[in-house]
Amino acid sequence: MKKRVVSLMLAAMMMVLAAGCGAKSGNGSASNGGGAADASALGEDGKFAETQHITVEVYDRGNDGGSDPVNNKYTDYIKKGMLDKYNVEVEFVAVPRWTEVEQISNLLAANNAPDVCVTYDIATIETYGNMGGIVDMKDALEANKELLPNLWKHLGETNIYWDQNPETGAIWDIEAVRENQNDVNTFIREDWLKKLNLEVPKTTDDFYKVLCAFKDNADTLLGADASKMIPYSISFDAGYRAKTLTLSFADPKMTDKEYYVNSFDDRGFTIPGVKQGFALLNKWYNEGLIWKDFALYGAGDKTEDDLIKAGYVGAFTHNWDYPFRDGENSIEANIKKFGGDGAQFIAIDPFQDKNGTHTKWISGPVDRKIFFPATNDNILASLLYLDWISTPENIQYLQIGDEGVTHEVGEGGVISIIAAEGNDIQNSGMNIDYTITTNGLKLVDPELTNKSLAYSYAGIDPKLVEDADKIAKTDDRAAKSYHIGSIEAETGMGDPLSQKRDQIIDQAIVAPTADFEKIFDQGMQEYLAAGGQAIIDERKAKWESIHGDKENLD
Amino acid sequence: MNKIKSDAPVSRNPVSIYFKRYWQLYLLLALPMLYLVIFKYIPMVYIQIAFKKYSIVESIWKQKIAGNHGFQYFIQAFSDSDFRRALRNTLVLNLLDLAIGFPIPIIFALLLNELCFKKFKNVVQTIAYMPHFLSWVIIYGLALQLFTPSTGLVNMVITKLGGQTVPFLNDAGHWVWTYVFLGAWQSFGWNSIVYLAAIAGINNELYEAASVDGAGRLSKIWHITLPGIRSTIVLLLIMQIGNILGGTFDRPFALRNNLVISWAEVLPTYIYSHGIKGLQFSLTTAVGFFQSVVGVVFLLLANTISRKLGERGIW
Repeated sequence: MKKRVVSLMLAAMMMVLAAGCGAKSGNGSASNGGGAADASALGEDGKFAETQHITVEVYDRGNDGGSDPVNNKYTDYIKKGMLDKYNVEVEFVAVPRWTEVEQISNLLAANNAPDVCVTYDIATIETYGNMGGIVDMKDALEANKELLPNLWKHLGETNIYWDQNPETGAIWDIEAVRENQNDVNTFIREDWLKKLNLEVPKTTDDFYKVLCAFKDNADTLLGADASKMIPYSISFDAGYRAKTLTLSFADPKMTDKEYYVNSFDDRGFTIPGVKQGFALLNKWYNEGLIWKDFALYGAGDKTEDDLIKAGYVGAFTHNWDYPFRDGENSIEANIKKFGGDGAQFIAIDPFQDKNGTHTKWISGPVDRKIFFPATNDNILASLLYLDWISTPENIQYLQIGDEGVTHEVGEGGVISIIAAEGNDIQNSGMNIDYTITTNGLKLVDPELTNKSLAYSYAGIDPKLVEDADKIAKTDDRAAKSYHIGSIEAETGMGDPLSQKRDQIIDQAIVAPTADFEKIFDQGMQEYLAAGGQAIIDERKAKWESIHGDKENLD
Repeated sequence: MNKIKSDAPVSRNPVSIYFKRYWQLYLLLALPMLYLVIFKYIPMVYIQIAFKKYSIVESIWKQKIAGNHGFQYFIQAFSDSDFRRALRNTLVLNLLDLAIGFPIPIIFALLLNELCFKKFKNVVQTIAYMPHFLSWVIIYGLALQLFTPSTGLVNMVITKLGGQTVPFLNDAGHWVWTYVFLGAWQSFGWNSIVYLAAIAGINNELYEAASVDGAGRLSKIWHITLPGIRSTIVLLLIMQIGNILGGTFDRPFALRNNLVISWAEVLPTYIYSHGIKGLQFSLTTAVGFFQSVVGVVFLLLANTISRKLGERGIW
């Protein structure tokens, strides 16, 4: 008996030792600058002679009833395609969507990131790039242009060179194409408006009156659940979730320079004027028009969605197509279950700016940033992957799937997406998480794309989508590529500053109205002192050194 | 002088005899030692990151020394108001934990020890342990169900009874107490195990003798049980004082929200947001190093004081 125990202990020791060594050797090999992209590695048939292996990041959205994001019908399609065409094995690595920045940082710091990485956060790429942790793709992209026709055609020079460093020429990341640049919309319960004989609000003041009416008529609208009434719901990220309102207080004729200088924070926190928007939210909060518990639930929490789906919420602001997403699980589908067939959210455009227009500050034609960490030892295979995933036929299949299963073909060939079940479910709308170089419907035939856009949400009335799209595009003003390169003061500040911004905004909104001014100003000072000012100053200086005294770019 | 005769030839080296006899015990000890070496001692090499300009791709031996003779990041930390606030909060929350969370398991163990019905005692004990096995994320979920202003059960009861909503989670002053009491609730059962074990080790004859002398329950607790577990209490107290700037990450991180952040940001969460999320590895290594140094100083101080007061201390 004693002997057995001892031998067990020994075996355990060996295992610990082996594990320790394994980790070490992994670290050691990681510091090389990535494998070379030499086209001669490909045979005459365009395939690698030996099977290559690459890993690719994919978002895990953790949605109800979804499938395994790294192993399902669509990943199989990609894996088979890549293996057949290039003899490259693809392995997916799941990264939680709502904490992607933290997660990818962890993976990068551990030299464990996938070969093909994707993030919305440019600051992470720049920080690691400055440490030498990101591959400069420029030479590989240009030298292999002929091998990558689809990638070059799809992204174009605009998106490939969008983030190029103007001083060194390095390309650390290329930008996915945003087919549809719509940002956020405000939605309201149309059936509630009708029930109370109210017009669709056309001004900020109208909107306020409607919220008051919702609150005062909670008994009529919700009956026994009247106490649960939430006229307007926002989340802890109020800067985003009330953006149509807050940015309506910005100057619509703001110069490119002023916009650029203040756009490190993508909620426009430091843009002159938006403070008034938050003051209004503060007033509404104190009048009981805003969800009381909004600040208590963190990122990725579904509580607010559930409240909207259960039909307690009168209006909210979110991504331009938010209530249409997710098929049978969409907000529109759910409120019908609780609020009857007539229940639906429609997009509205009530917040006018000082010129009477409804300016929407939208992003450029860019989306996620794709980059290769220095640990990538197969640049060529990774680039070929990007080319494959940018091929029109592959994009189309991933987006609309099989006929009769995930889409139907209607009059004039119009594609309408239908809700799929089981293994055919798309975890993200139109599989955006797999088509990493594309955001938004893109069929092989561009004309058909336009016609089908409104039909691309399963079970949703196309008219709702068309209207929402139209409103989201009203008076829009897109950000440009300013070609200024990285700003040193931004290194590592992305997350701490956006966290700080959320805290200040939340605290200011829930403050007693008399204290709003004090709390907001104090917070803003703290934000600027913590690095916000340094970023603004450096952006301004760099703009002036590159663009001189130009206030607007062409 | 008589020579002692022995059957076996006398070994010249007493150490080798000792090891021959006890080598299996040392083998058992080897595994935990190995754990300490791999996970605690080897990582100490990387403390130098605090004094260097960190780069992810360069070997740490080749990285450049940071400015101000390597103390750049310490200076940066102390001039950062967020860091100073996190330092204050860590001290305040840990001291409150010490004042409230520390005595509760002792009192609980004493009470439990006085119960006569063994079955009832076991049930109570098991129920008290349970929260220890819940993750803090789940506990925050429970807290939201109970304490949110509009839908929390407790607040609904309070308002139904005609009271005012209590901002348990959304006002910094209230949140601190919610934090401390949730912590005490989560851990008192588990922490009482050590004390119960110590109480079980007290010689029963002492109680019998005391009964003969006419001692009541309270005086038996005061004169026998408490002195009996005093050394355990002191030991745990010293350890907790050594952790005065430390503490877990998950509890404050799971329980906090944007409204109470001015009191909820503590050093572990500061390190997470600035180091891992903000990628400022050198800065946060400096903070972590500072934390450890302060911890060791407090540990030594507490130990010395306890020895001065006639207790054994840790060593």
